[in-house]
Amino acid sequence: MKTKEFVKKITRTLIGAFAIGILTLPLLAEPDYGDHSSSTLTTKAWNAMAQQQYDDALAYIAKCEELYGAEAKKMQASLTNYAPNDPKEETTKLWALNDVGTCMFIKGEVLLKKGDKKGALEAFNKLVKEYKYAQCWDPKGWFWKPAEAAKQKIVELQFENE
Amino acid sequence: MIKITYKIIMLAFFSLLFSFNITFQLKGEEILTSLELKKGDIPLNPSKVELKKDPNGNWRLYVNGDVFPICGAGGASKAGLLEQLKIAGGNCVRTWGIGTLEDKVSDGERFIDRAWRLGIMVVPGIWVQHERHGFNYSDSSSIEKQRKEVIEAVKKYKNHPAVLMWGLGNEMEGVTSKDASEIVLKEVNHLAKLIKAEDPFHPVMTVIAFNPHKATQVKKLCPDIDVLGVNTYGAAAGAGTALKNVGWDKPFAVTEFGVKGFWEVQTTEWGAPYEQTSQEKAANYYSAHKLVFEENDGKELCLGTFAFLWGWKQERTSTWFGMFLPTLEKLPQVDAMTKAWTGNWPKNRCPVIKGLSSQAYGKVVKPNINITATINAIDPDGDKLSYNWSLLSEATDLRVGGEAETAPPVHNDLIIENNKPECTFKTPSTEGNYRLFIVISDGKGSAATANFPFKVKK
Repeated sequence: MKTKEFVKKITRTLIGAFAIGILTLPLLAEPDYGDHSSSTLTTKAWNAMAQQQYDDALAYIAKCEELYGAEAKKMQASLTNYAPNDPKEETTKLWALNDVGTCMFIKGEVLLKKGDKKGALEAFNKLVKEYKYAQCWDPKGWFWKPAEAAKQKIVELQFENE
Repeated sequence: MIKITYKIIMLAFFSLLFSFNITFQLKGEEILTSLELKKGDIPLNPSKVELKKDPNGNWRLYVNGDVFPICGAGGASKAGLLEQLKIAGGNCVRTWGIGTLEDKVSDGERFIDRAWRLGIMVVPGIWVQHERHGFNYSDSSSIEKQRKEVIEAVKKYKNHPAVLMWGLGNEMEGVTSKDASEIVLKEVNHLAKLIKAEDPFHPVMTVIAFNPHKATQVKKLCPDIDVLGVNTYGAAAGAGTALKNVGWDKPFAVTEFGVKGFWEVQTTEWGAPYEQTSQEKAANYYSAHKLVFEENDGKELCLGTFAFLWGWKQERTSTWFGMFLPTLEKLPQVDAMTKAWTGNWPKNRCPVIKGLSSQAYGKVVKPNINITATINAIDPDGDKLSYNWSLLSEATDLRVGGEAETAPPVHNDLIIENNKPECTFKTPSTEGNYRLFIVISDGKGSAATANFPFKVKK
């Protein structure tokens, strides 16, 4: 009798644990990083921000920095100015710097949208200091400079605090 | 005899009184502002204006020997706005056409004379025709007529002491094109030569819709231009860097800047642009001026900036570019420029918008349903705020180059609950694109604005 009760108890506990596991699985699951390339992660971060999926955006950004941050810093260290945009390849060959720098800008924007001004300021400052010469292709037909945009965001945040 | 003497004394007394005090009426509440006005006749002596580098190597304008960083605005052509510019700490105004100089403003004075009395310098805009309006730059009689008009304008005003420099043309090179029209730029240079022959005492600036490539064309085709004016919105902060990178080495001024343009912001799924709140706009004005003039690479070429628009206009919305409401109430963009120009906030600050929310914000909604919207705002001075919501159709008369647009229909009969931070409105019964606006006033001449687009679909 005691054994039967014990088995029942164990079974109930296991079913409960299984149910909790099933229910919380989506919460614990990582977002889909696709092919894990820096360009895929950056595009996914942009899209997630546009769809107000801010936690997903931050996850893509963190993954991009984790995988490509070191390479981006190496590229940054090799530069003394922005790479020329003509030919385009002179800029695009700095793929890691461009994508990690852009991700840092998105991170600042996402944190601003989440109301975390301090975190946003940190992200914008990091971009200006560590990934200064990143450039990002704008579908309208030119490269824009995330660090320049970040500098403006920093001044705007200072203005808001005055 | 005694009566006549008494009348003369009283007349002189009141003239003096009015020469020192300017009164505007504002929403029924009188705001008395004391501003010192220069008295007497306008002297017909041009100010001595020079372009030279300061001891730090920065290009600067010097007026009668004093350094003159441009703290400017475009517009100010309605009565009271020049005074507002003076109060805000501005020192310069630009016009787009020469006719504005004759506009009657406060006390019935001419615009250019009033500016002088207030100690504000003017960049008279001399209109240069656009090809997109049908002007043919290959037609010699049209060219001759334009040259004559330009020289007449210069002759008429060259001795006025308020003239700072000439603003030759505005976006005449092709407002939407990537390349500037070469035939137009060559003519601009010819006009600059004619102006300098007529008036050697004032620099000549030409104004383009900015992109760096056009600056290289101006450099090549307009050697007689002294200053490049660039109209630029989202990219204003980086204008100096971009100019320097393409080899521009003469002085430049940012001749229109401020908010993000409606072509630069995010849009709804049906293409309606999200307008920044007045507080977000203020941050843009401040940061763009600070960066282009004081911080970013290329600042050494920058003579200063002209905030756009010191006034109000319908362009996509009634609030997109204006720094004032038609009631003459100033918006936070004006406070931002005061802070940028003087280092201090104005005595009475505008309300600060923290957020605007609604279930209809940027969404598609059903007709004839009740919706709420909420504005979160504070007043830095603790003034009591009043709220005015309004519902409009989305503008359909859309032009390019800032040309006049017709205001869309208003549907305020659909506002069920108004005059509070929370508004309830009924969505229109007709399918279409709409926008809900909020204007917040502090009752002391300062206001704030925000809006959001929504779509009605069955």
